[in-house]
Amino acid sequence: MAVAGKTQRKVDRDEVFLEYTKSICPVCKRVLDAEVNVRDNRVFLRKRCPEHGRFEALVYSDAELYMAQQRYNKPGTLPLEFQTEVKDGCPLDCGLCPEHKQHACLAIVEVNSGCNLDCPICFADSGHQPDGFSLTYEQVELMLDRFVAAEGEPEVVQFSGGEPTIHPQILDFVALAQAKGIRSVMLNTNGIRIARDRRFARALGRLRPHVYLQFDGFALETHLTLRGKDLRRDKQCALDACAEHGLTVTLVAAVEKGVNEHEVGAIVRFAVAHPAVRSVAFQPVTHSGRHVEFEPLERLTNADVMKLVAAQVPEWFQLADFVPVPCCFPSCRSMSYAFVDGDSVVPFTRLIEIDDYLDYLSNRVIPDPDVRQALERMFSSSATPGAERALLACESCGIDLPAHLDDLEEKVFMIIVQDFQDAYTLNVRQLMKCCVAEITPDGRLIPFCAYNSVGYREQVRAQLSGVDVAPVVPNAAPLQALLQPTRYGSKTAANGART
Amino acid sequence: MTLAPGELKACCAGAYASPAARFLLGDSFHPGGATLTSRLVRALQVGASATVVDVGSGPGTSAIQLASETSCSVVGVELSAESVDAASRAAAAAGFLGRVRFIVGDAEALPLEDDSMDGALCECALCTFPDKRTAARELARVLRPGARLALSDVTANAGRLPPELIGLQAWVACIADARPLEEIAALLEEAGLAVESIERHDQVLRELLDRVGARLQLASIARSFGEGVQRGRELAASARAAVADGMLGYGVVVAAKR
Repeated sequence: MAVAGKTQRKVDRDEVFLEYTKSICPVCKRVLDAEVNVRDNRVFLRKRCPEHGRFEALVYSDAELYMAQQRYNKPGTLPLEFQTEVKDGCPLDCGLCPEHKQHACLAIVEVNSGCNLDCPICFADSGHQPDGFSLTYEQVELMLDRFVAAEGEPEVVQFSGGEPTIHPQILDFVALAQAKGIRSVMLNTNGIRIARDRRFARALGRLRPHVYLQFDGFALETHLTLRGKDLRRDKQCALDACAEHGLTVTLVAAVEKGVNEHEVGAIVRFAVAHPAVRSVAFQPVTHSGRHVEFEPLERLTNADVMKLVAAQVPEWFQLADFVPVPCCFPSCRSMSYAFVDGDSVVPFTRLIEIDDYLDYLSNRVIPDPDVRQALERMFSSSATPGAERALLACESCGIDLPAHLDDLEEKVFMIIVQDFQDAYTLNVRQLMKCCVAEITPDGRLIPFCAYNSVGYREQVRAQLSGVDVAPVVPNAAPLQALLQPTRYGSKTAANGART
Repeated sequence: MTLAPGELKACCAGAYASPAARFLLGDSFHPGGATLTSRLVRALQVGASATVVDVGSGPGTSAIQLASETSCSVVGVELSAESVDAASRAAAAAGFLGRVRFIVGDAEALPLEDDSMDGALCECALCTFPDKRTAARELARVLRPGARLALSDVTANAGRLPPELIGLQAWVACIADARPLEEIAALLEEAGLAVESIERHDQVLRELLDRVGARLQLASIARSFGEGVQRGRELAASARAAVADGMLGYGVVVAAKR
């Protein structure tokens, strides 16, 4: 109704409403309705807890890219068995429950909670702690058996922690996983033991797991902020030991806003040049567990990291060289492959029109199903060095270079960009298609981001260590008044989470 | 140019059937790939009952796409018997046996009846036909009145191309005898077709040349295909420069038979 002397005008909202979904309250973890909106070409997730109020976080900093990626959504594959039943709905029934849309491409076994570092960032909240856990051989075997039962021929298992290399039986675990027929076994490590224990490095060299080496950059400041210590010498020694013993390595860089964004290009160049390194995985710092205070509306997302690579290594990579990974939700992970020979770098996307093959929503005939299959193997959460072999050997893709495969394999380089969800950004829609799982000692396969955000990690740790574990709340700027430190350095709600 | 027109045609058709061409060009042998083909297919305005000829059908990718996007029947005409065999196998594998067929034939003497086709597709092929006037007349002859031709081709500002782009390799690469877009349109008008639209798509040629350049770079990393690789890289670089200078481009013409 018009107010006297003044006409009221309707005003447009300042955002485009994109999705209606579910999430959780970052404080009390109860399940909430949530909406995804676009403002200024950025994608935000918003939700409201009746008790703790309204929360909003940036989930993707390029809305156009986010939308374009939706076409890369491959139909999921059913695992051979589910471990739980549907009772309370996602994300409370993990897992995997029969509503889950994808099998586990990669599963993680955290063999301990202890670590030889006490990093300021650690989603596992690990460190020199007296009250942790360390899995037994029997426990690990049961976990691997359940993974094999669910997958038949599992693709990748990753041993993590804590710091898995300080577990006295880690070599036995690696050998056990290999004996179970798991195609690729990875060891997620800070590299300290590989750097300092020559006998251990040699023993690893005999087993040849793929080394997933934490590697955040070269600046002292980066090391001190993210790891609390100058580990530069250890990293170099670890890498040289890997090269010496024939171990292939993925450098895993946690990237945090204002800390090491400027080092992304240097990491890529270093990785391309080092003989042991086959790939780099960039992960915006996961705001689960222990981490430095962050602003949820200004956090780093996959789009930022890809643009950093393109800006810092422009002569090799462009934004268009990154391909959304179809097995998980396509906005969760992007990858790029390149052939490298000295200074000559050819990104894979320049060789073949990948859109023609990995667009699952188009009605168009796929030029060749064999090429699609080969590409799916490459652009997958389970891709390890050598995944490009299927495509290079595929006559119908036209690349067909079988005679030169052995020469080429050592020249293939991979970049992975993966954003893990936290209690702020958790979107059940993405979670339901997650293909990275944590195996629990009772044999459940819990999607990684649910494990770290919803409270599963705290439950499992409490069970294994026999010590109460406080529910972790993200160390977000807007929550500071509510927070107090936990015993392990993460944050929890001061007055107890659920009232 | 020392080759006779017949030899040239055979050389072009043969080159496109070779493993090196497959390696360099992938599935879609023409700039713009499946996306530009879709655009041409829509311009034909044909339905399920139509029969469309694809002149210079190569590996059959576009003919199969045309059949799947419109449900029409397609006859692919191609000079290389090897390509006809490969295309026939591809059509059978894609489940289009019967509806999409390929025959060996010359674009300058199409083995088809007058007024028998409800549409014609000709992608990146006119530039390789030595006698373009005859080829245009043949396209017009086989179309029934009112039926459309959707044609895409490399375009060139003749006489201004650098010398390395008019040799045999450049001929095979569709460059040496490419014509300005207006000249192609005039040829079609002269053959009895009414031009409905003319579009420039230089960007897709840039993209294709980038792809060829990248594949040649990979071939040199893999040390495949011998010494021709270096020559190919020079040629691709020269072509890219010509596109940047506006001497080389890509275009689409849609015309209907009067």
